[in-house]
Amino acid sequence: MMRKTGVILPSQSEPLMRPMIVIGIPGDKRTSGIQQARSDLGMPPAIILSYAEFLQGRSLGDLMEEQKKQIPRQSSVYNGVDLSAAPPLLRLESPGSSFEIERAIIALGAPDSDDMDDSLHPFADRPDPRPLRVKVARQLKEIQGVLHHPSQWFRGYCRMLARLQREANTACPGSLWLNDPTDIAAMTDKRQTQQILSEAGIPIPRPVGEDQQPTDYDSLREMMLSRRMHRVFIKLAFGSAASGVIAYQIHPVTGAEIALTTVGVEDYITRPPIYYNSGKLRRYTDTATISGIMNWIYQHGAYAEQWIPKAGLKGKAFDIRQLVVLREACHAVARVSPTPITNLHLRNQRMSLSEAGLSESVQEQVRNTAVQALAAFPRSGVAGIDVLVSGGSQQCFVADVNPFGDLLYDVKYRGCSTYEWEMKVLSARDYITPPSTPLIKEGLS
Amino acid sequence: MTEVKLSIGYDEFEEGQRIGTEIEKLSSSPESSSLTSLIIGDWGQAYENSSEEVVESLVTHSASFPALRKLFIGEMGYEECEISWITQSDLSPLLPAFPELQSLTIQGGNELSLSELKHDKLEELIIISGGLGKAVLEQIATSQLPNLRKLELYLGVDNYGFDGSLADLLPLIEVGKFPKLTYLGLKNSQIQDEIASALANAPILDQLDTLDLSLGTLSDEGAELLLASDRIKKLKALNLSHHYMSDEMITRWKQSGLPVDVSDKQESDDEEDWRYPSITE
Repeated sequence: MMRKTGVILPSQSEPLMRPMIVIGIPGDKRTSGIQQARSDLGMPPAIILSYAEFLQGRSLGDLMEEQKKQIPRQSSVYNGVDLSAAPPLLRLESPGSSFEIERAIIALGAPDSDDMDDSLHPFADRPDPRPLRVKVARQLKEIQGVLHHPSQWFRGYCRMLARLQREANTACPGSLWLNDPTDIAAMTDKRQTQQILSEAGIPIPRPVGEDQQPTDYDSLREMMLSRRMHRVFIKLAFGSAASGVIAYQIHPVTGAEIALTTVGVEDYITRPPIYYNSGKLRRYTDTATISGIMNWIYQHGAYAEQWIPKAGLKGKAFDIRQLVVLREACHAVARVSPTPITNLHLRNQRMSLSEAGLSESVQEQVRNTAVQALAAFPRSGVAGIDVLVSGGSQQCFVADVNPFGDLLYDVKYRGCSTYEWEMKVLSARDYITPPSTPLIKEGLS
Repeated sequence: MTEVKLSIGYDEFEEGQRIGTEIEKLSSSPESSSLTSLIIGDWGQAYENSSEEVVESLVTHSASFPALRKLFIGEMGYEECEISWITQSDLSPLLPAFPELQSLTIQGGNELSLSELKHDKLEELIIISGGLGKAVLEQIATSQLPNLRKLELYLGVDNYGFDGSLADLLPLIEVGKFPKLTYLGLKNSQIQDEIASALANAPILDQLDTLDLSLGTLSDEGAELLLASDRIKKLKALNLSHHYMSDEMITRWKQSGLPVDVSDKQESDDEEDWRYPSITE
């Protein structure tokens, strides 16, 4: 039988509705949001499988059987169609802010882990600095905001994705991923994301060093000065929510430097410094602190790109989070910030695109750019695309592709919340095609 | 009123576009003759290149802008250039070139000079900076601006070029220096308390409608003196927003019935530095 994981394509053939299985954190705002939306639409609830239990070693098949037993059979009928008749749609959620899960993932990424499947890690051969063995990783203590070994976390995360993919193939043959684990891995690594976007011809901010990226503070400075790119963003390759992002600039005449970042440092005499996410933006101008943070980020993996001056409104700048669901741009929000870093949790404002002053034609350009960006990941159906609009020419650039970027509050599209819209779209269409099929127009499959 | 903003982005500058050419183009366009307000934004990597080209080009083409009343040199946000890194130049040649000018706004204090600050009609002078040098303060103090109604200076901090002291500001608030002045802003200062204490009973308050001491480090110390002053009570507006006053002091201002803005209280401690988990999106 042909494997039917992969490309998700809307078509107008016979609607084939599938039950939904969510691997997430039961009861968190994401899984609850999905269940609420399904309930409001009269759909049977999704089966929620616990991330934490999966990471403790329970198999996907086991977890699924256990959950299925708890769901009454009749509730699988929606619009007269028995959803249980089709192989399920699998949806992986964000691991969220659970430390238990973070720790388990770091342990999975350990050099002595019993699962060494790095097939989904885009840079698997790059060693992680000072890796923690399983036993040490399992003893990590939660210190809120502390960035515990980001590269080992990402290695563990990719191993978990690979395991999910393997087990899904055997536990539920014919199942489809809403976002395929391979794509999730690629979207989570910004180096890989930008490479994929660039190869697909999507406009992205120019990387510092087209062929070879800098590897540390010194090489970054050298490249910036030799290429006259004096203002850049440096990003931890697998950070999210402004984690490990630095807006950095060098004064070409005086050599002075300014780094704006949420990364805070706690220095110790007898042991390595601790890096953490601070709730407010910090401004560093001393070389010792800046080079310390940057070298630490580069050791784990970093990506640096041109700082595109963003469009602004009354002295503030903004970017756009544009949600795309099955090749259609839907919910969008402008994230307006008095600082160069726009993430919403930094107390930045949210606005509609019109309120932010974008013309209808630029909004259209934002939507098109976002749709194309998701199309560069043909095995994925949903992502929140961060689009920059440049202040001068109003050109669009894709800064980030978030596989879990649909947690947007108080934004409606055609009267629907993000989860309502997704559930409606997913239940209304068939989205199976063989993995090798190129993107084609609706109705031609 | 017609207003135009000219700006050269990073990429445009790298591709060879220059602000002088843009000004020249504007000067030969039909709208130049009726233009009342001109904003010069980023003139191209302003952290490296000074505004000299802007000044030269505007002076050369000043005859093409007979209606110009407002001029802003350096309107750019941090997305384009840090305010404290904007490189200015001697802007005073602009004044004789535009004898009808009423309002001049300057952003950026580095290398800023106003060597010949003389103008019969200028009503408004605003300098926004992260740190204003005392040489510029002295130039303003020795200026001849008989029609000046509004003077607004962002004084800033010593890290970014403020090298003055209260003594450098006192000549600016002497009665008779600016006979028509009704709006005085000495703001964004690290010596905001000292400024407040010097102004609390300064005779110049009698001619002012508005006193703006916002955006600085004003604490209860300076606020106490202002609140006790009878001259302050005659103001139509007192702007103290963005300050370090205590809640008690804020309440006293609110109960005073004075037209005061005490919004945007700042916390001096580090308690706001809450941390958040790394993987939340």
